Amino acid sequence: MTSTDLLVQQLINGVSLGAMYSLLALGFTLVYGILELINFSHFNVFMVGSFVAYFTLQQFGLAGQTTILTGLPLIGVLLVTLVVSMVAAGGLGVLIERVALRPLRNVRGPAAMITTIGVGYILFNLVLLCFGADGKDFPNPLPPLHWAIGGATLRLREILIWIVSVLLMGGLTYLVQYTRMGRAMRATAQDPEAARMMGVEVDRVIIMAFFLGSALAGACGMVFGLYYNFTSYVIGFTAGLRAFTAAVLGGIGNVPGAMLGGVIIGLIEAFGGQLISTSWTDVIIFSILVLVLVLKPAGLLGRVAPSKS
Amino acid sequence: MRFTRRLGQSFDGYGGKAALLALLVLALIAFPILHDNDADLDSVANATAYATLALGLNIVVGFAGLLDLGYAAFFAIGAYTYGVLTAYQVMPEWSPFWDVFQTLGLVAKINQGGPDLVHFTLSFWLALPLAALVSAGFGVLFGAPTLRLRGDYLAIVTLGFGEIVPIVARNSPSVTNGAAGLNGVAAPSLFGTSFGIDTLPYYYTGLVILGCVLFASLRLRDSRVGRAWMAIREDEIAAGAMGVNLVRFKLLAFAIGAGIAGMTGVYFIAKLQTATPDMFGFPVSVMILVMVVLGGMGSVWGVVLGAVLLSLLQSWFLPDLTQWLHAIGHGIGNLWLQSIDLARSVELIFGVILVFMMLYRRDGLIPAVRKQAALTFDQQNVAGVRRGGFAEGAELGRDAVGRPGTLVVRGVVVRFGGLVALNKVDLTVPAGAVVAVIGPNGSGKSTLFNVITGLVQAQAGSITFDGAELLGLKPHVILDRGVARTFQNIRLFPTLTVLQNVLVGEHARLRTGPIGAVFRTARVRREERVARARAIDIIALFGNRLTPRIAQAVGALSYANRRRVEIARALASRPRILLLDEPTAGMNPAETLELAEQLKVLRGLGLTILLIEHKLDVVTQLADTVVVLDHGDKIAEGKPAEVRRNDEVLKAYLGRAATEAAKREAVDAA
Repeated sequence: MTSTDLLVQQLINGVSLGAMYSLLALGFTLVYGILELINFSHFNVFMVGSFVAYFTLQQFGLAGQTTILTGLPLIGVLLVTLVVSMVAAGGLGVLIERVALRPLRNVRGPAAMITTIGVGYILFNLVLLCFGADGKDFPNPLPPLHWAIGGATLRLREILIWIVSVLLMGGLTYLVQYTRMGRAMRATAQDPEAARMMGVEVDRVIIMAFFLGSALAGACGMVFGLYYNFTSYVIGFTAGLRAFTAAVLGGIGNVPGAMLGGVIIGLIEAFGGQLISTSWTDVIIFSILVLVLVLKPAGLLGRVAPSKS
Repeated sequence: MRFTRRLGQSFDGYGGKAALLALLVLALIAFPILHDNDADLDSVANATAYATLALGLNIVVGFAGLLDLGYAAFFAIGAYTYGVLTAYQVMPEWSPFWDVFQTLGLVAKINQGGPDLVHFTLSFWLALPLAALVSAGFGVLFGAPTLRLRGDYLAIVTLGFGEIVPIVARNSPSVTNGAAGLNGVAAPSLFGTSFGIDTLPYYYTGLVILGCVLFASLRLRDSRVGRAWMAIREDEIAAGAMGVNLVRFKLLAFAIGAGIAGMTGVYFIAKLQTATPDMFGFPVSVMILVMVVLGGMGSVWGVVLGAVLLSLLQSWFLPDLTQWLHAIGHGIGNLWLQSIDLARSVELIFGVILVFMMLYRRDGLIPAVRKQAALTFDQQNVAGVRRGGFAEGAELGRDAVGRPGTLVVRGVVVRFGGLVALNKVDLTVPAGAVVAVIGPNGSGKSTLFNVITGLVQAQAGSITFDGAELLGLKPHVILDRGVARTFQNIRLFPTLTVLQNVLVGEHARLRTGPIGAVFRTARVRREERVARARAIDIIALFGNRLTPRIAQAVGALSYANRRRVEIARALASRPRILLLDEPTAGMNPAETLELAEQLKVLRGLGLTILLIEHKLDVVTQLADTVVVLDHGDKIAEGKPAEVRRNDEVLKAYLGRAATEAAKREAVDAA
């Protein structure tokens, strides 16, 4: 490969990774925007979403990469799997909010954050105990189509990730910007008390934020499996941390910021792995996290709210 | 009276607990003799290491309220410091440079068939403080940029840091031998005898280290340093406004926590004689956090209990329980029971503990703050003067107030986005005067206070106190200059007692640092004794309003009493000017009158006061000058009586039509 080919190839890889991080980062940003809470359980909601997709695909009789589907059956299977994993992950997110976080909503200090760590740990270990520590061979019905762009290769799975991400993010943007619920969400993010007094049902808004964020994590779990042909109980941690970095980079609480941050982190991962070494990827990404927080805490697209003293 | 005198002693004693403690120590010393089982002894030795780690994290999370999710990183740094300096891993070529170190016994010359090589032979006992320093250094290096951030960001950054350190260890095989881990880490030796693989000396060493850290934790908790940490935990803005240097004290907590982790790292790998990156990952950080949460954040004894319970759960209870289940399964022929391994579910149990404790018992097994019994009827009616307490304390009062100074505000502009909160406001508070600021809601009064005390940045103008510029200074520096304040919406430290709250007010006037707090020198004891006596006297200024409640958490006090505590806390800083933001809000007419009298006494003592107040009778009684703000503009200034008749003021308060009506009425009356 020439260096141009490498550039194109890593661009393709980076944008694909970035699309996944964006989907995941949106969950952090939606919840943080409204509750100012870092939801550590989101890491493993994503992981559970990936397992749901894994079992759903198995239900269609798919195993490994041997069964290839085309045409309508392919679209149907993928669509059903997407919806099932989104609904399951979204439901899990709502359950977590309802059972573990709502009682702590008005408790000061790190109690809620510690609870999300506990919930994440429970999910992680339940999956480990129930389904074992071995990596799962993720069923992949995509035909092995690929196109050469110079010396670089663009695979169908990458196009699939892009399509899914663009559609979901477009849908979310529409929902937040143009619907009644979206307006209520934005109002609550700015001032929950005022929103409540104006008749916004804050509880519903919060549930909605958890549902949407977790559903996107579920979708991400599915595309993650299709991209890597693999899933495991450990995937939440690294991907979750990178996605959180993406959310902070874009400006946490800011929906377009999470998308932008995700793509940037994906590109950094792809090019950092190429230029330096994949074993240093996390070090690079966390250094960026610290730098952003220190130099531009509001992120690329965020803005600093006036302090309330 | 005896009640307050006992509180006035330099520190709260542990009298009743002493016997219990002695018994516990004896039992721990005798344990290996009574229970001759090496595996169990090893479990307890590990438990001491975890308890030490948990105490270190408790200083960060429990005392200072900083959620550190990468605590194991500092454990790793300490461990590798010792490991690299004793294992046969890093061996530079020998040169005369090393001769000095050889005489000191820090290195040895070895030969493995090539040139002579340096083999580091750092003593375990030297490594303990050294690793503590190295880890604390990393804590400072890493904490300095991030501790300025809001608390929840700190959690994620520490999480990242906790990930990075093992990765670096894994990716630097020349120093750490990478994923395979350091081998041949030296065992400690004492008087020339190596500990080897015998458990007993490790057990006693672990106990001694734990004992020292426990002692230091208790001493720190009950000192100026501990109070500053807890103030930060409870309310960062109020802590800063009361003179606590936020960055310095957060860093201090972070560094001390890191140092303790580093020291424990030395013990831990000296005992294992190996160190791999996997020993220091996220699960370790979470485990230590679970120990702190289970025992009770901020509760020293609770944290030790939590750590011991959880580490014995892993090494003792779960394996035993598993064996019983296997035996039962064998007996009744159940294969599932025979295959169960409870030790594998220990992390699941940790997760459940975290969630359960946060939802149902946030204070942990042994809460740091005991629930106070309600006051008895007799205590409520303790003999004492209801009013005039101030006059009695006048002698203290003179000492309570610093040399008065003049506050000058010139052309200050504060904007929040498009909203102009203060528009070129001028204001002078002459030394010894009382100036009141009035104005409708949203007129910028509280913003004025915030900009004077450094909580809000001004876009233009200048604020000087006694000739020195205040703009641009941090809140704690402004307090140190003698500008103290109260808050409109009361910002006390809710779980601290009345006495502790007032003592935080004295923070800037005391000097005790962490080392003094731990060793409690004669100077520290004297300083603390004087500080407590002063705090009690200031509290007594409010008659028997606060004195009987001195040991109660302020969160449980009435609204009016919380206002009084806030004023007492501000007075404790020996202010030269006192900024009171609606001090009588929420008080009934009798209480308002009482406070007005007390403020008059303070004025009589020479205290300069800037006052925001809505109750005009209070303003008329107290103020020499009244300044009226409306929509960020100063619309009037003058004697209280003049301002009351001012057209602009009437318009601002009543609107134009009502003003006309009021004037007509006045004319008619004339």
